[in-house]
Amino acid sequence: MSTATRETVAGRVGDSAVRPDAALKVRGEFAYSSDLFADDMLWGATLRSPHPHARIRSIDVTAALTLPGVYAALTHADVPGENRYGLDHRDQPVLAEDVVRYQGEPVAVVAADHPETARRALDRIAVDYQVLDPVVDAELAMAEGAPVLHPECPGGNVLRHVRIRRGDPEATAEVVVTGEYRVGMQDQAFLGPESGLAVPAEDGGVDLHVATQWLHVDQSQVAHALGLPPEKVRLTLAGVGGAFGAREDLSMQVHACLLALRTRRPVKMVYGREESFFGHVHRHPALLRYEHGADRHGRLVSVRAEIVLDGGAYASSTPAVVANAATLGIGPYQVPNVRMDCWGVYTNNPPCGAMRGFGAVQACFAYESQMDKLAERLGMDPVELRIRNAMREGSTMPTGQVVDSAAPVAELLRRVRDKPLPPPADPTDPRDLPGGVANTTRGDGVVRGVGYGVGIKNVAFSEGFDDYSTARVRLEVLGGEPVVSVHTAAVEVGQGLVTVQQQIARTELGIARVTVLPADTGVGSAGSSSASRQSYVTGGAVKAACERVRDTLCALAATRLGREVGLVDGKLVTADGAVAASIADVLGDEVIERTVEWRHRPTFPLDPLTGQGNAHTQYAFAAHRAVVDVDVELGLVKVVELACAQDVGRAINPQAVLGQIHGGSAQGLGLAVMEEIQVVDGTVRNPSFTDYLIPTIVDMPPMVVDVLELADPHAPYGLRGVGEPPTISSTPAIVAAIRAATGRALTRVPVRPDDIALAGSASRPVPSRPEVPCD
Amino acid sequence: MIPFDYQRAEDTRSAVATVTARPGAAFLGAGTNLVDHLKLGVAAPDLLVDVSHLPFDMIEPLAGGGVRIGATVRNSDLAVDPVIRQRYPMVSAALLSGASGQLRNVATTAGNLMQRTRCPYFQDVTTPCNKRRPGSGCSALEGYHRDHAILGASRHCVAVHPSDLAVALTALGAVVQVEGVKGARSIPIIDLYRLPDDAPQHDTVLEHGELITAVDLPALPMATRSTYRKVRDRASYAFALVSVAAAVDVERGTVRDVRVALGGVAHKPWRARRAEEALRGAPATDDAFRAAAEAELAGARPLRDNAFKVPMARNTIVATLRELTRREEP
Ligand SMILES: Cc1cc2nc3c(=O)[nH]c(=O)nc-3n(C[C@H](O)[C@H](O)[C@H](O)COP(=O)(O)OP(=O)(O)OC[C@H]3O[C@@H](n4cnc5c(N)ncnc54)[C@H](O)[C@@H]3O)c2cc1C
Ligand code: SF4
Repeated sequence: MSTATRETVAGRVGDSAVRPDAALKVRGEFAYSSDLFADDMLWGATLRSPHPHARIRSIDVTAALTLPGVYAALTHADVPGENRYGLDHRDQPVLAEDVVRYQGEPVAVVAADHPETARRALDRIAVDYQVLDPVVDAELAMAEGAPVLHPECPGGNVLRHVRIRRGDPEATAEVVVTGEYRVGMQDQAFLGPESGLAVPAEDGGVDLHVATQWLHVDQSQVAHALGLPPEKVRLTLAGVGGAFGAREDLSMQVHACLLALRTRRPVKMVYGREESFFGHVHRHPALLRYEHGADRHGRLVSVRAEIVLDGGAYASSTPAVVANAATLGIGPYQVPNVRMDCWGVYTNNPPCGAMRGFGAVQACFAYESQMDKLAERLGMDPVELRIRNAMREGSTMPTGQVVDSAAPVAELLRRVRDKPLPPPADPTDPRDLPGGVANTTRGDGVVRGVGYGVGIKNVAFSEGFDDYSTARVRLEVLGGEPVVSVHTAAVEVGQGLVTVQQQIARTELGIARVTVLPADTGVGSAGSSSASRQSYVTGGAVKAACERVRDTLCALAATRLGREVGLVDGKLVTADGAVAASIADVLGDEVIERTVEWRHRPTFPLDPLTGQGNAHTQYAFAAHRAVVDVDVELGLVKVVELACAQDVGRAINPQAVLGQIHGGSAQGLGLAVMEEIQVVDGTVRNPSFTDYLIPTIVDMPPMVVDVLELADPHAPYGLRGVGEPPTISSTPAIVAAIRAATGRALTRVPVRPDDIALAGSASRPVPSRPEVPCD
Repeated sequence: MIPFDYQRAEDTRSAVATVTARPGAAFLGAGTNLVDHLKLGVAAPDLLVDVSHLPFDMIEPLAGGGVRIGATVRNSDLAVDPVIRQRYPMVSAALLSGASGQLRNVATTAGNLMQRTRCPYFQDVTTPCNKRRPGSGCSALEGYHRDHAILGASRHCVAVHPSDLAVALTALGAVVQVEGVKGARSIPIIDLYRLPDDAPQHDTVLEHGELITAVDLPALPMATRSTYRKVRDRASYAFALVSVAAAVDVERGTVRDVRVALGGVAHKPWRARRAEEALRGAPATDDAFRAAAEAELAGARPLRDNAFKVPMARNTIVATLRELTRREEP
């Protein structure tokens, strides 16, 4: 074997390969979808309902059209195809017809030569609304006699009900704790607001450049609404500024295309920040009632739970979120007897759908709060209680599914528990104290608390969904060098997927130069960049396509060279390890291109009565320990440190894995202590980043992270989806730590100063668990 | 946005004359509040007279020992001024606890004092709001009002004033210098701001066209021992739920004099006179601080969702005074 064959290219699987977008983004040079531009383009704008529920008596766009510079003003009557879209159910109008069901629902769109002209044109559209009482309480919406918001929905306002029954649902236990928990409406708060550019094409179709999460599901919905065959609606991914679920549903896609087709001019639409709050779905607010039963040694006997998710005005992905909350709602624990009912309900609140964690977040806050309550009742250490009940490989889910790869729940908990605790805060540096730079605390009245959380998440799409990705890999010789190009429709939302595809191609083919082509609908579907699934599924597709290219190359080489060869580190090598030829020698001017559709193991539907079924293909786990300092007099919380341990199967790009864990934990912190869309009578009261609070660098503490790599034999490279688990367990860990510091029950997130200081006696409440006072 | 004219003010007199003569005109400072309002449709002036470059950018000593802060001094410059930091630390602390570095670098002293409430209904033109459209009703009364007033509100408006700076200036007893077509006048800051009563559209007593030129701080030796504390939902870049500006003069464990003002609790920065009275001559103990705070807050009338502000204000007063008096003792 010559030394040359040993030289592996850099940036393979397992390396922290540098991302092509990293420096551009840091320097502010990355082109986001909002930067799109075409000569001669028009600007689109959307007229939205100010009411959460109203009948539309009439819409008159005449005055808008008479404004100079306005090229089109369209309503539902101008939608050429079916005026309906939706991920799961097509229940949402592209433009409202006779009724609006949430504040901000699009009613009309205009195109004009300047964004300000477009905005003024909106002011001239006359809509005659008959305001109706909004249905704003999810539990009341389920009740008999509530106004039915979607007459075609067979369950009234209940969009989906998932029942899970395992063992004896009526089992009794020695120790029982009950609790009722609530989760507020969280926003994905992504960086780049909804935006895109639609360009009319010669063939009567349209080319849409847009920031989204799944090009093909957009394509099919847009084509359906436009009444065009899918091949006439071509999508290309534009620069995406984060997604977190908020780009799974359509926003401006159909609108921009309608306007472009009508005006025969390119049309750009960009939502402002305020509009963005109305332009995408949010995390479902939830009401969760739990009853945990255990024996006196702390072994769980039963869990009974009811979860109500407020789906808002349209279905979006609520049915799938309901299934997730239900199937994952007991947590990563072994429980012989389970009764779980989870409902997703229509209301006139803002539509809710996908957000990082997807139903598992809400449930985890509740079941982990219950585990702490149970530990307290039993006088047990909360980590010990969790470890005693922890699921492991081979455990059975409440759905009857056997967890058939690593499930190191106990190990994750031990790891975060055993980390050294951070030192007491430095009272001379306000940034270290609750209240931050507002000088709120000098360290007196500050109590330290420690809390834990562990969570479970499914990876990829579930319940029998045909979940696949397509990759086209091309090998050719350019300038004497082998070059690989990878073409998929997989969406880079900022998670580093472009780099992952490059790393896989380099690993499989041993070739340094790998180009990832822009994602578009010119290649088959890649599925969604959600459910922590793209490294797994598109990664799997790229790997499989590379293998096919490799096989073809080796076969070609065998015929040319007259002997069997393999591809090792980018060289064609004989069985004895000697380099027989270079790729350039063998390939010459030929091009090898292979396209593969790749699927993960199939999943199956849940039994409608018992919720039994192998619904998920892979499970992922993370645990957190949170250390907080609380000013108990003022109700202020400083999260001092977050420790996280997560099993990722295989870290394809270790730095990107850490990025996911830090970012996910920060989003969980936001839900724990500040993030909530305030909805009053169906109207959003804080649609801005001044009023919707997300953590800043002062709020987010340093993290201590352990990454485990316990390979899943079913997954490419053994990898396990990474993106969601850290969002799930950080919230309950932080709240548990605040409880430990304050002794307050804290059954609702986000926890706000009011919840801690309301009772407000300046005397210190008795903490329920050991504390380390700060002063 | 509605079209408007823009003029850069040549001098005080013409700026005042121009705005006074035109009912739809407004002064423009750095625009960090007003321009937002233009975008939201909350304000629709037909003429903006930019006063941010008028020569009021000095911080100067006054005869009698006080300090004059020019109306166009930027918030950042004021916060780091050595005299302000040493003699009136609560002013620095208040400024630095507000907004963000970028905003403070441009925002002016007068603009800060004249910024308008953050009540969400005030900023949402699709909803009734007496402050924005007199007589249309107050949406916050029964709506979202967690951030709203617990003191001095009326059924016409329950909004709070958002400025941190104004709270510190109220504790100090600052005097605002104003120029109008009829001449100059001095208004103690406590009288500048109004309670809502039945006319919440008026935040202050200024007449249309009256221009703030300066704010005078009195020579108040005890203000060297002063501070500002702000309680909010996140550790930076958020408005106050409750804030306290306080200065104390303690001798041998007894409060000789004290200044306390509260933010986030009323339509104006709230000078806590009852608490001050209760404290003068009292021992500098937590019990006395608590009793004083309770005396002040006895008049609190919280709304459905903001009762938490009463204990929060009390605890913040106690904690602030405790910190100051502890520092006082050697
Ligand atoms: C995201 C954000 C967060 C913020 N957080 C805080 C905070 O935590 N605490 C806080 O205190 N503030 C906060 N602010 C408000 C900020 O302090 C004010 O916007 C700023 O101080 C206003 O100053 P300006 O010069 O830009 O005023 P402008 O916006 O120019 O003017 C404001 C008002 O003052 C009037 N005006 C200006 N100059 C004069 C004058 N000389 N005489 C009479 N009237 C005049 C204008 O007509 C206008 O009505 C925040 C603002 C934003 C946008
Ligand atoms: S509190 Fe004042 S500002 Fe808010 S809605 Fe009522 S009147 Fe308007």
